[in-house]
Amino acid sequence: MQRRDRERPGFSLVFWRELAWLRRRPLLLMLTAVIPLGLMLLLTAILSAGLATRLPIAVLDLDGSELSRSVIRAVDATPDTAAVLHVAELSEGRHLIVARKIRGLLMLPRNLERDVFAGRRPEVVFFYNTQTFTVGNLVLRGANAAIPTVAAGIRISLRTAEGQPVEEAQAAITPIPLQTHALFNSTLNYVHFLLAALLPAVLQTLVVTTMAYAVGLDVETRHRFAVLRRLGGGLVPAMFGKMLPYTILFLSMLGIADAVLFRFLELPLRGDPSLLVFAGVLFVLACQFIGALLALLLRQVAVAVSIATLLTAPAFGFMGIGFPRLGMNQFAYGYGELLPGTWYLMARIDQTIRGTPLDLSWKPILVLVGFVIVLISFTALRIWKMRGSSEGRAP
Amino acid sequence: MTMVLAVFRNEIGRLFSLRPVVSVVVVAAAVYAVFYPQPYLNEALRKVPIAVVDQDRTQTSRELARLVDATPDVAVAQVLPDVPTAQREVYARSIFGILLIPRHFERDLMHGRTSPIALYADASYFLMYQRMNGAVTAVSRTLGTSFEVSRLVGLGVDLPVAEAATDPMPFIPVPLFNPQGGYATYILPAALVLILQQTLLIGVGLLGTLPGGAAIAVGTSRRRFGDLAYESIATVAGKLLAYLAVEALIVATYLIGLPYLYGIPRLGSVATILAFALPFTLAVGALGLLVAAALRKPLAIQLVFAAIGLPFFFLAGFAWPAEAMPLAVRWVAKLLPSTLAIDGLVDVAQLGASLSDVRGEFLGLWLLVAVYAGIAVVVEFNNRRRASTPALVRGAS
Repeated sequence: MQRRDRERPGFSLVFWRELAWLRRRPLLLMLTAVIPLGLMLLLTAILSAGLATRLPIAVLDLDGSELSRSVIRAVDATPDTAAVLHVAELSEGRHLIVARKIRGLLMLPRNLERDVFAGRRPEVVFFYNTQTFTVGNLVLRGANAAIPTVAAGIRISLRTAEGQPVEEAQAAITPIPLQTHALFNSTLNYVHFLLAALLPAVLQTLVVTTMAYAVGLDVETRHRFAVLRRLGGGLVPAMFGKMLPYTILFLSMLGIADAVLFRFLELPLRGDPSLLVFAGVLFVLACQFIGALLALLLRQVAVAVSIATLLTAPAFGFMGIGFPRLGMNQFAYGYGELLPGTWYLMARIDQTIRGTPLDLSWKPILVLVGFVIVLISFTALRIWKMRGSSEGRAP
Repeated sequence: MTMVLAVFRNEIGRLFSLRPVVSVVVVAAAVYAVFYPQPYLNEALRKVPIAVVDQDRTQTSRELARLVDATPDVAVAQVLPDVPTAQREVYARSIFGILLIPRHFERDLMHGRTSPIALYADASYFLMYQRMNGAVTAVSRTLGTSFEVSRLVGLGVDLPVAEAATDPMPFIPVPLFNPQGGYATYILPAALVLILQQTLLIGVGLLGTLPGGAAIAVGTSRRRFGDLAYESIATVAGKLLAYLAVEALIVATYLIGLPYLYGIPRLGSVATILAFALPFTLAVGALGLLVAAALRKPLAIQLVFAAIGLPFFFLAGFAWPAEAMPLAVRWVAKLLPSTLAIDGLVDVAQLGASLSDVRGEFLGLWLLVAVYAGIAVVVEFNNRRRASTPALVRGAS
């Protein structure tokens, strides 16, 4: 350290000073390494077990016939639902749903079997809870897969009873079969998809707030600002020397997260890995300069950090991973447009699960390039103005 | 009691005079109340744009496309000549699905053969995939059934019999709560609880780390154990009561006012909701005291809590079902007041559960209050004892 103190002012002096700060200030180290790694671990642990399967549902079987039992068996056999108990009346089932003991209630009416074969079309009713969105949709998917299958069996047997050959009957009951192909993400695995989107979202908040803090420490007082400028031999090299250690650190965090995702969790990487890395660098830079700009504009560290938090902490919802941006109102859509994370996640989805052809991959990346250029220009402009005012006031 | 009152008065005064605290507890709470719900206010995803690749070009194929376009979930945005062209549009995100109607679609149907159609749906966004698949499945079933019925009628079967033969056992799904399946209705009740927790935790953390918190003078002379213990308990109790008083209005706004303004159905009574919110607010306040003791600096609290909100949300077992989490994670999650509070408050407010229905969560929250407040008292006690040991006074100052 002694030797470096005597080094000529410039970019590298500020760079090394920043690294020394990182060593001496536990808070900075916590923000750039401990918290990102800790949160990654936590999120991975939360999602590690995969999507819930065999969610418990109850059955109210008022018929007790061969048919009603086969419906129950079919519902129990889907991967989504498990028929775990019988209830004696509707209110009991409703109560169990409210208490979250069961996730759905299947009601088979009295005389189900007799009425089905008499052509009276009795209804099979399934009660479920959409207040818990994901779980509600899952149990509905299970019931929705099981019951039409049983009904199809009945329809075939009604036709074969009339003397129609089985194959002909099978064809006749679905005149327009629909084959659904999942483009991309063909295993419909949302666990890794969600995880791959959550980690950059967490990082976005961390980078913006940490930079607001780190830069804020240097610009809060005129004296510190002058020191930074002297060490850097000019404000622009000083600023870049200040930013670079964090760029490296945060990119390493993103790299570790991606290594885990692609190596161990085997998330598909169908696109161009170099494009993915390039987008990652742009994303981290854009977030860094948003934080730096907030610090330069607001001067007070605490205020800069508060505003940075306010802008980025609720950002996940605006990036359209859970609820798509397509369904959002104008304000939310526009705000999402202003977040680097929105574009980075687009580029990320393009280069991971979609495998988008190169000529269609550029839009989100060019937008990120635009972000970085505009933000760097604003930062430089702000620094230039601050230099002007501080020199003007200097004796 | 006068001691508790003194702490209470001092803490209330600081809450409103320290700018960082006011800006988190009041200003941030107000901003988030408007800002956070924005993405979800349209409630449902409607009219997901898809393309139709119609290789048949007959009246029936056009009828099929029209029926798909008429569903609320999907809109036919483009008619394209082939699948590769359409797939490029999917890559460019101008459409999210492709409905392929093959050649001879109509002819096969008329001749009584099966006539399959195909949907290529972008599965990288879960909700969109679900919408497209649901809508096109429903249309193909409805149209198919009408063909099946008319075929049977053509064979001389009576209409009611034909209808019974095509749909002998109708399946009726009945959503008990949030019947429209609205996204805001699903996410906001939980998210609002979490925002309350975040703002209060940061606010109390800042109060505990900014100067001026000691309303009861920290004596420098040697004190009796009993006095120290009494002072510590009074300090913690006074502070918690102060937070409760200030939060009363904010909690009521968040749990009753905002859901009302955003049109989220509420089945539970106001009194039950507020009764449940009481241990939640106290538990968060007590946890905030511990956060302050652990992180010690106002900036550290602001920075650490900035990024932690999103993982907390996933821990709560709402966005991601608790059933799907490893057991160890579920136990860690229970240490956060938000986990039990979201379960309980959603049950009470949206599902109309009574306090006895959610007594597990209710008692759990009181347990958290007892544990966190107990630890806070011990921390306060240790600080006071250290301060009253003369040798350490100089070291600390």
